[in-house]
Amino acid sequence: MSRTLVMDSFLLADAESVVARARAGDAAALEAIYRAFESPVYNLARRICRSVEDAEDVLQETFFEVCRSIRTFRAEGSLWGWIRTIAASKALMRLRRNKYRDTDELHDEVMAFRREDVGLRMDLEAALERLSDTARAVVWLHDVEGYTHDEIAALMGKTTSFSKSQLARAHHRLRRWLGEEVTA
Amino acid sequence: MSAHLSLEQLLALREPGVEPGTTEARDHLERCAACAEEFRRLEQRAARLRALPALRPSRDQWAAVQGRLAAEQRRRRVRWAGVGSVALAASLLAAVVVRDLAAPARLEASTELGSVMAQSRMLEEAIRAYGPEARVVDGYTAAVAGQLEERIARLDRELESSQFLDAAERQDVMVQLWRERVGLLDALVDVHLASASNVGL
Repeated sequence: MSRTLVMDSFLLADAESVVARARAGDAAALEAIYRAFESPVYNLARRICRSVEDAEDVLQETFFEVCRSIRTFRAEGSLWGWIRTIAASKALMRLRRNKYRDTDELHDEVMAFRREDVGLRMDLEAALERLSDTARAVVWLHDVEGYTHDEIAALMGKTTSFSKSQLARAHHRLRRWLGEEVTA
Repeated sequence: MSAHLSLEQLLALREPGVEPGTTEARDHLERCAACAEEFRRLEQRAARLRALPALRPSRDQWAAVQGRLAAEQRRRRVRWAGVGSVALAASLLAAVVVRDLAAPARLEASTELGSVMAQSRMLEEAIRAYGPEARVVDGYTAAVAGQLEERIARLDRELESSQFLDAAERQDVMVQLWRERVGLLDALVDVHLASASNVGL
């Protein structure tokens, strides 16, 4: 059983019947789906987006889309897998819009300015927050959500090698900021 | 292979399947303690990322989702049933219908941008003509309208910021933002339309 299918049964008891009712337009079933997946969707959105406001917008947009499109969901697939892809796509769309704030040049400039404090060990949460939006999104989607580079590339409208290089870049930085660099 | 493995090579070892070069890298990993240690740290870092605490929303968004769904459903109902005899409702409805007729299947980005901007203007004029600020509405309508207006204001800030994007990207992003603005204005028209219909205007 895939990880996302396990998540379905963990988060929503009797997922199959709830989905069937939701597909028939049952408002209570739609709300049950929202209640079950609200937290993981928000967590994904918040880890990818910079602000609480953006993450809340993504949460709202995701479930608006879920409710509108539940009839198109194929029952044999994973509900969480389907919802998660909608959420990831909405979150990445938001990043794309905010991209002017996150050019690599600007990011590198800021990082160079802050480089002095990298000797101090950062905790993982702070280090993750400090990554560029794109690198953070890739590392989260790949290492936490389990997306493949091909899937990330498709979600981002980029190439597989772009996803791979962003992941490597993210790990280089995390390693340095967490004080895990090999000195030999 | 005598040199240590690069981070890119170590990352490739975590991927399913065998890419060119990974067999050799795997052999090296078995023999090199430093690379094995680096690989272990990489795995641990990923595990620690997965173990970060789950972040939860501070506000319940379900009411807002329901509000948007209800507005969309009303729009569909109104479109089919019509509220023809009500002058105010008719003017708002006209804006919605004209917008739909004007909706292009897929136009060139620049044409599309002009089109969605025109739709946005038309909907805004319809709302202005209705004058919602001078009307008494129920709490639910006020809350949904308030949320929509807040989102429109946020979208406007994003539109201002989109000026800083590269020319190549700006157009697509602006079309997308203006489309969303039309969607939100459309929902706002529906909210007022439903409110007007309910009080028999």
